[in-house]
Amino acid sequence: MANRRRKLALVSLFSSVALVLAGCTPEVQRGFLPDSAGVTNHTDRIIGLWTTSWIVLLLVGVVSWGLMAWALIVYRRRKGETGMPAQLRYNMPIEALFTAIPLILVMGFFAFTARDTAAIEAKIENPDVHIEVIGKQWSWDFNYVDANVYDSGIQAQFTGAEENVMETLPTLYLPVGKSVQIDLSSRDVIHSFWVVEFLYKKDMFPAKTNHMYFTPLKEGTYVGKCAELCGEYHSMMLFNVKVVSQSEYDSHLASLAAKGNVGQLSTEYDRNQNLPGGDPEKRG
Amino acid sequence: MATITQTSNPTTFTPKRSKGQILVDWLTTTDHKKIGYLYLITSFMYFLIGGVMALIIRAQLTLPGLDIVATKEQYNQLFTMHGTIMLLMFATPLFAGFANVLMPVQIGAPDVAFPRLNAIAYWFFNFGSFIAVSGFFTPQGAASFGWFAYAPLSNTTFSPGIGGDLWVFGLALSGFGTILGGVNFITTIITMRAPGMTMWRMPIFTWNTLVTSILVIMCFPPLAAALFALGADRRFGAHIFDPENGGAMLWQHLFWFFGHPEVYIIALPFFGIVSEIFPVFSRKPIFGYKTLVYATIAIAALSMTVWAHHMYVTGQVLLPFFAFTTMLIAVPTGVKIFNWIGTMWRGSITFEAPMMFALGFLVSFVFGGLTGVILASPALDFHISDTYFVVAHFHYVVFGTVVFAMFAGFYFWWPKFTGKMLNDRLGQIHFWILFIGFHTTFLVQHWLGVMGMPRRYATYLPEDGFTELNIISTAGAVLLAISMIPFFWNLWITYRYGVKVELKDPWGYGRSLEWATESPFPRHNFHSIPRIRSESPAFDLNHPELAAPEAKAAYREEGRI
Repeated sequence: MANRRRKLALVSLFSSVALVLAGCTPEVQRGFLPDSAGVTNHTDRIIGLWTTSWIVLLLVGVVSWGLMAWALIVYRRRKGETGMPAQLRYNMPIEALFTAIPLILVMGFFAFTARDTAAIEAKIENPDVHIEVIGKQWSWDFNYVDANVYDSGIQAQFTGAEENVMETLPTLYLPVGKSVQIDLSSRDVIHSFWVVEFLYKKDMFPAKTNHMYFTPLKEGTYVGKCAELCGEYHSMMLFNVKVVSQSEYDSHLASLAAKGNVGQLSTEYDRNQNLPGGDPEKRG
Repeated sequence: MATITQTSNPTTFTPKRSKGQILVDWLTTTDHKKIGYLYLITSFMYFLIGGVMALIIRAQLTLPGLDIVATKEQYNQLFTMHGTIMLLMFATPLFAGFANVLMPVQIGAPDVAFPRLNAIAYWFFNFGSFIAVSGFFTPQGAASFGWFAYAPLSNTTFSPGIGGDLWVFGLALSGFGTILGGVNFITTIITMRAPGMTMWRMPIFTWNTLVTSILVIMCFPPLAAALFALGADRRFGAHIFDPENGGAMLWQHLFWFFGHPEVYIIALPFFGIVSEIFPVFSRKPIFGYKTLVYATIAIAALSMTVWAHHMYVTGQVLLPFFAFTTMLIAVPTGVKIFNWIGTMWRGSITFEAPMMFALGFLVSFVFGGLTGVILASPALDFHISDTYFVVAHFHYVVFGTVVFAMFAGFYFWWPKFTGKMLNDRLGQIHFWILFIGFHTTFLVQHWLGVMGMPRRYATYLPEDGFTELNIISTAGAVLLAISMIPFFWNLWITYRYGVKVELKDPWGYGRSLEWATESPFPRHNFHSIPRIRSESPAFDLNHPELAAPEAKAAYREEGRI
């Protein structure tokens, strides 16, 4: 009996070591997150918290599943077995232990979470770039506040068969290495501004402005999506973020100005008709 | 000694009745068991309807750019009603069903405290649910603003259809049914326990019914209020949820103040079911009965303090507070998991169908709990909120709990419901197809979410790279659907060819009072009630030499051992 148990323990140990060794591709190392290392000043922090949390949690999971498997295999009722096991009802020390250990783990997890959340949400005073994004069914308006130009997006058009849909999407330009403040609001329903590789999203509310602060650190084109259900064409409310050099950024702003997109879009065309004092009769 | 043969009482004489009489009897019944069966049957039918919707949703997502659902509006209606049905027309009334049938028997009562209130609660649920679903029969279709109906999308400016109104008022009506059911269960448990059935001798399922019912009366009234306010906005031009007045956030707070405890309302009773099953098939009492009860109470209490973790990305909630309370829930939940493992530890375990489903729950639920801890961290949630990671997470906790424990309960108590055992071999086949189908469908959705697939998207781009995993997920969903075939086949052959078990306790190691009465239950549940000296009166009766210490002392006095 004892011999067999030792064998079982060895087999499970070896298989878990093999699993760990097998899983060392870069994708696994970042916990299957998109390739976001160094994309903004926050992404490395998020990837770090994500992977450490998963390692600890999977250890907890492996212990739990291991105990289950052990109980089911070792304590199964054998063919022809009669009699009954000891009718153990409780064991205070063990119960205290399996209350205390999760509590300690949770405290630790909370400490790291609170630290990283505070860092991600921290306000940047005097950001280099100030952008306003206004969500609308089902696209995005971008205001480049400092340069007083804007870009008004239209909804993505695709049936799934087209090539290069991504290039037709509304695109927000950001200069690399400059701190950014984005003000988020909406002119109809709630949307959510999500740049996948920034590993961050924030909701856009009508009649309320949310803020996000970060510094893009890596040039490239990043996929953006609306992440809060906003009506029929929610899945087509897509955009791009292009993080470019300062000169490219300036020339993009200049081209917007040349197109006549001078000034700022606002939420004055808010479609919420339920404004205070509105007459329900007139609204139909 | 394994089983004690006791024949059911043959004196109960039922006169032959016409089909019309049987129908009238079922429609007008105030018997807690019949009302319970009505709940179970109705909610299972909604499970099938919601399941078909899920299959259409999965079919639509198999490949990018499909048009299986004609318009995206219809797709939105499908997932809205899938969520609404599964949460409020399947899982919640399924709790009411199991609680109605079993709780009075487990405490040795002949019925619930308010039988007629019980009946009207069921009919409120039934008609309310039908009203909410009937939106599909209107020209603009059913509600399409998601099952959490965020303002202002849910107002008439953005969702003008009558389906939205039917959804609001139907759910309000059905919610009152749930509240009345909760009141009834609490009163019954407080006032109608048999002599000897102290609170600390109640079976875990009854404890969980009590705690769940307390949650119901705390969190369903805010939902009712919110729904009536939304109805007033939609029908009478009220301005309660205007974004200009902060109404968008007000709705979210009200909804999730209901919505998060609701998750535990549909989880705790099913924790109760598996807590009844593990001891029977491990031939040991539940391990750490009191810690298990305290853990249940702790989960319920904490569940009222975590609602805003659904709102991390709104930028308008106190992140550290809600992160901390949410993470704390992991502690009592972990205690429960280790108590269940402790129950099996050094037991003598057999693997009949109810045990297999209970184990399927346990294995799946652990993973759902782990992803829940991840989601509790705002820093990580900012990326995965509103993605398929969340979809995968809540299907692991909700499907893993409700569906697995429901089938466990069906196989376990079928002899008490009908007097016949379901076929175990078909049960095993059913289990394995369901288990494999479930994990194939939902495991890969974690990766989809992390890679960047938002939830509630009617389609996606080929460039997104989501195609392979979506194909796997849809294949799993097909397997899930197939797993219903052996179940229905099992019901049919058991109904047609099953033999009456004629045993009070066909499993041989039943513990709570339902195993000390005839199968199926007699009209008023008991002809006699055994002495109740522990949380396992039936086991104490059938296995006096292994009875709980208090019971043993009583037996010794009587000279039985």
